[in-house]
Amino acid sequence: MSRFRPEGDVVVVDLPSGEREMLSQVLSDLRELLIKGGDDTLRRLKPPAHPDSSEAETSYRELVDDDLLRGRLEAIELVELTLSGAELDASGAEAWMQSLNSLRLVLGEQLTLAGVDLVNHKMPDTASAALYEWIGWLLEQLIDAASQAHDL
Amino acid sequence: MTAPVMVPETKVEESVDYARPWKAIVWDDPINLMSYVAFVFQKLFGYSKEKAHRLMMEVHIEGKAVVSSGTREKTEFDVFRLHEHGLWATMEKDE
Repeated sequence: MSRFRPEGDVVVVDLPSGEREMLSQVLSDLRELLIKGGDDTLRRLKPPAHPDSSEAETSYRELVDDDLLRGRLEAIELVELTLSGAELDASGAEAWMQSLNSLRLVLGEQLTLAGVDLVNHKMPDTASAALYEWIGWLLEQLIDAASQAHDL
Repeated sequence: MTAPVMVPETKVEESVDYARPWKAIVWDDPINLMSYVAFVFQKLFGYSKEKAHRLMMEVHIEGKAVVSSGTREKTEFDVFRLHEHGLWATMEKDE
């Protein structure tokens, strides 16, 4: 059973309660991590725009870091509000995608730091690897549903 | 008799477009899903499904692709939007 399905021009969210609880928990952890900042696992959420110029990079970070954080927190909040079922328009679906993808980027970096070879997709039989795969599975379904509903 | 036709000297066009000197580059990474990357290109830049897919495949196979170009400000904004969506994007000046 698909967790996201296109209906006309909206995407319907339909998650079993166990999955809602799991997602709610990991999103709350992500929010805490984002607000605290500075963690190595956040690396992929803040790639450098100017890798060859520390001066340009510093001014880029000053310009965007607050907006990046605010946008991510707002996206998480929208997901939490629509977790128990909703009809998502294009911006709602985008907030879901950004949040699911942020979770994957953090979990993926955690796995990488733990020595997992993501490039060759050699996944260990662990809870965090299963979580990472599950979120990827949700994201694939959402992209598929949004592509149909929002005509992309 | 007709006067010889004067052929005006033609000037070779410069290949560098000086109006768009900056480019946004997306790099391959092991985490972002291929379908997600293509979706983001469509969404942010209004590219067709085909163009977005082609650019995504270029990132995947070549390791990187230029996804947009323009002024410094415009390119920096594009990079910011790519960062908002979790893609590994950098920018550089076209030489």
